[in-house]
Amino acid sequence: MELSNLNGQIIGIISDDFKKEEYFGKLVNEIVTTKPNEAIKMVKLDSNILNINYDDLSIREQNKVILASQLHNKEIILINFSKGMLKKDLEYFKRLFKKISTYNRKIILIDKNADLFINCVDRIYVINNDKVIFDTLDIFDRVLDMYIDPPKIVEFCHKCENLGVRLDHYKELDELLKAIYRIKS
Amino acid sequence: MMIDENLNYVILANNINKKFLKNFSEYPVINELSFVNLKNKLEFYTSKRIIFNNTFYALRDFEKKEILKLLNKQKIKYINITSDIEEVIDCDYIVVYDDENIALEGKKDDVLREEKILKKLGYGLPFVVDLSTQLTYYNIFSKVYDDMDELVGELWN
Repeated sequence: MELSNLNGQIIGIISDDFKKEEYFGKLVNEIVTTKPNEAIKMVKLDSNILNINYDDLSIREQNKVILASQLHNKEIILINFSKGMLKKDLEYFKRLFKKISTYNRKIILIDKNADLFINCVDRIYVINNDKVIFDTLDIFDRVLDMYIDPPKIVEFCHKCENLGVRLDHYKELDELLKAIYRIKS
Repeated sequence: MMIDENLNYVILANNINKKFLKNFSEYPVINELSFVNLKNKLEFYTSKRIIFNNTFYALRDFEKKEILKLLNKQKIKYINITSDIEEVIDCDYIVVYDDENIALEGKKDDVLREEKILKKLGYGLPFVVDLSTQLTYYNIFSKVYDDMDELVGELWN
């Protein structure tokens, strides 16, 4: 599957077809080779990490290192980047992805966690055995639930709709709260 | 860390590396597995305590529920080491780490009341807890929920 041909600047992919490249046995400075200090800083790691072995890092740090190693690429491909990340990390990296994408870079996120996709990707593809079997622009698309658990805010809106309460498709808790408050008052 | 044999634990940690996992070396550790492999492993599991290390990352919610049901049936207690705050919902006791240090610990409901600390550390709150907590500030709810169906039902009833 030629991922670069898929439409979108930031793309979400749901698939088991792809395996993450691992760097066991390598030092971080052997993995992040282009402008390493700058790249490490951008992914919110301390530059001391450059002299540490990849194996000794947490998954969260490993994923940040993998991103740092690709920051200057035209196309950034991250597999299960959300694993080990905190909520706050995801918010930061979504902002970073949006910023990077404005420099005409393509970001491809192959992930098991739809929280990474919401408020971030332009389009979501489901790929199985090298074929696109479904794609959507809308994370609220209920067909998507067949392939991945929706973000909790989407699940909440769906459950409300099931009870006949039509909420707009809010992607932020603050907006949702205000909407609930308006309805309830 | 003192372990009560009757409780299920979630260890929230932001730096789960080899060194961190050594703290739990007295129990078998299960890393990420497919649902089928995990289920098969648990069906023949003999110990009374198990450690999960980001094991549930790739599982769907219905698969997680089935695994928890299986653990309950086999009377196996777990310690789930994760960075995903959503995974605390089914446990009894939470220990929150900031790097190698314990920042907070206690019964689930008590820890989830510490909204400011959990958000400051970056874990946030589980969505349902966060939403219902915010709704108490709007005087729409008087209690905090940890079950989405219950929350939705109560909200629109």
